[in-house]
Amino acid sequence: MSALAQILGRGGASRSPMTVALIGVVAAIVLFGALTTPNFLTLFNAKTIIRDAALVGIMGIGLTFVTLSGNFFLLSMKEIAALSIITFAMGMSHSYGFVLSLLATTLVAVAAGAVQGLLIGLGANPIVVTLGAAGLFYGVASWWSDNLVVAFRRPNDAEWLGTGSTFGLPNITIAFILIAIIAEFVLRYSNFGREVFLIGANRAAGKATGHENLPMAIKVCTIAAVCAGFVAVAFAAQISSAQANYFSSEFGSSGDMTMSVIATVMVGGNAITGGFGSTLRTSFGAIFIAVVDNMMVLRGYTSGPRILSVGLIIVVSIAVFALARRGRRSVE
Amino acid sequence: MEPILRLSQVSRSFGAIHALKRVDFEVVPGEVMGLVGENGAGKSTLVKIISGFDDGYSGEFVFAGRPVRFSAAAKAERAGIAIAQQELSLVPAMTIAENIFLAGHNVSIFASRQGLAAKAEPFLEEVGLGSLNPNTRVERLSVGEQHLVEVARLVGHDPRVLILDEPTAALGEADSERILEMVRRLAQRGKSIIYVSHRLDEIFKLCDRITVMRDGVSQAPRRASDLNVDTLVELMLGRKLENMFPERRGSRSRDILLAADDLWPDGLVEPIRLEVYRGEILGLAGQLGSGAGDILAAIAGAARTRSGALRLGGKRFLPHQPRDAIARKIGYCSPDRKRDGLFLGRPIMENLTSPALETVSSYGWNFGRGEARRARELASDFTLDASRIGQEAGVLSGGNQQKVALGKWLAISPEIILVNEPTRGVDVGARAEIYLKLRTLSESGASIILASTDLQEITYLPDRVITFYRGMRVNEWEGDEVAIERILKDITDPFHETHL
Repeated sequence: MSALAQILGRGGASRSPMTVALIGVVAAIVLFGALTTPNFLTLFNAKTIIRDAALVGIMGIGLTFVTLSGNFFLLSMKEIAALSIITFAMGMSHSYGFVLSLLATTLVAVAAGAVQGLLIGLGANPIVVTLGAAGLFYGVASWWSDNLVVAFRRPNDAEWLGTGSTFGLPNITIAFILIAIIAEFVLRYSNFGREVFLIGANRAAGKATGHENLPMAIKVCTIAAVCAGFVAVAFAAQISSAQANYFSSEFGSSGDMTMSVIATVMVGGNAITGGFGSTLRTSFGAIFIAVVDNMMVLRGYTSGPRILSVGLIIVVSIAVFALARRGRRSVE
Repeated sequence: MEPILRLSQVSRSFGAIHALKRVDFEVVPGEVMGLVGENGAGKSTLVKIISGFDDGYSGEFVFAGRPVRFSAAAKAERAGIAIAQQELSLVPAMTIAENIFLAGHNVSIFASRQGLAAKAEPFLEEVGLGSLNPNTRVERLSVGEQHLVEVARLVGHDPRVLILDEPTAALGEADSERILEMVRRLAQRGKSIIYVSHRLDEIFKLCDRITVMRDGVSQAPRRASDLNVDTLVELMLGRKLENMFPERRGSRSRDILLAADDLWPDGLVEPIRLEVYRGEILGLAGQLGSGAGDILAAIAGAARTRSGALRLGGKRFLPHQPRDAIARKIGYCSPDRKRDGLFLGRPIMENLTSPALETVSSYGWNFGRGEARRARELASDFTLDASRIGQEAGVLSGGNQQKVALGKWLAISPEIILVNEPTRGVDVGARAEIYLKLRTLSESGASIILASTDLQEITYLPDRVITFYRGMRVNEWEGDEVAIERILKDITDPFHETHL
């Protein structure tokens, strides 16, 4: 409980009864589900859960930098991924090979992120910018591919990333774990990470102490976009094909990649206004959502109830974290 | 005449702080009553009680012949006491007429725009805005006109007592004059006005009687004609000046560290000339809107300059962003620490090292050891509890927050520290510590530039004081010439004598 308490409130002394009750209810439901769902508590299923969480989780980790720095969300996550996956598949289908295709995709993702970051950093509204960018990126991806599936031949040199595994762990899972560790390390121990928190906590004070939001917005949006690009590559490598609408439907637990990614950030309890949170929280958020989703799949629920329950998780967790934080504030 | 409003023996405490001590206050119908006193003297507490924002007081409050106790501002307003505060409560995107009838007048919910405009006109006449089209959107008015619209809205409720809290603090000469005219007109129509202001020239022009507050105690009201600026200031300050300010040093260096020949910060009406000597405390005295604070913001790169530049150590220098100034070892404490002085949700340690991350990290990485040590040093340097540096800055008291906001600049080993209103909302103990720290810093070679509207600190802390009035430089006083009466006259009414 203390680990959970630490994630929730960093202090533990001040937990309102309401918060405790909510955490208790959630924990009870999960525990009940875990004990009564057949095949849930197996090593194989645990690996499945983490693999399911990996793609959404990696994008969530990238997006967490944007949110923590007080620049809200990129509502264009799935469109960046769409543009990236078409770029990658085009490269692969024209036989440029994995390395060159990956490089080109990375460049596209960096450009997509940096442009949005530039506009946001100059003071444009993040919602407007990223919705506009979403339309632009999706339009280009769809036009470029004639809205058709871009397939590339198997075997190819991208498969190791998509379907390969090392010591029994899928390589995607390993990538998720590595990215989670590196991101958390950077956020905690680098000056860049500190600036993310400072600017997110108070942008005006950040400016006054020499930390401008313009370079920060460019950096964090680029990080998020590169994560989206990487996920696109990994996904294309799984199925050796790409289509612009892969991330728009039937992806992740709520059907829409952008919303699933934002859900991981929120369920992790990161402050939506910035300045408080961690990428570790987002990783746990992704895993928690995957746990619930997995349980419901094993119990035979269709996608409607699953999407509904993810929505409920988001609402409940935001309420819990808001209460926990209020409790913490009113100590002294 | 029988007073319309009378408070007797009113006391109000916040914990151990006694904001009001057995205060008596009254206003008679048709009178303009001036309410003056230093920051923290209890004026605003008194005003809050009268206008219903605060009912945690003891004592007697009689209004229109009846004992009352207002638990909400709306109740006081309904009874006939209206207050125009410094922060306007208008909706900029709505028209004048819509704003006037915003707060639940007897207007049909389907009122037409023309109907509202017609109804609004008499109220606008009353405040001297009869020439304005009531369908103008409020955002297109000058700040002074907006203040007048705010008063028109209040007058619409037909109050018997109207409280104006520093109505001209942010206004220019012409707009201020309109406010004064309006006050006279309302008083002639039998309204009672409570006029709170730091501008003593206005007080003398306008008020019939004056109540002086000092240290939470009220003085018996006096006729304005029985007083002059000197006697009023004496009443405001009292005779005893506590031993709060560290002594000035005898001899000082004439080594110029920072100079401005032609710097023109936004907020001033002309370019300024300024020299800052190494190791001195320079005071820039002036009221809100005088431009004193704008000079600091310009030197810090926190505000725009129209033209010109500075010379720093002999070299041309003009910061475009705060980080430019920080790189030259200039730190700036703004008057609003909550806005841009502190990261309230982050630990005290991170606040203290925020302007100088590179000094507590190596190659961009910071594993906390060096930072904790540095933060503890900075904290104990400012008599903050070093064991609390892990806590959020938001949990600290106002005084300790200010110490953090100021103390973080020690992290850059500053050559120049710019402080604007360093003791606003700061208790007496922390005040003395901040003064002492600023003095110590200046003695160790840093130059301090202090802008303040607090008369005592701007008189007794600096080695040299330059005075400002409405965007213009007025005078410069040094050493023994620095005197409270001189500064007060410079910043309130420099260009003509007030004879009454």
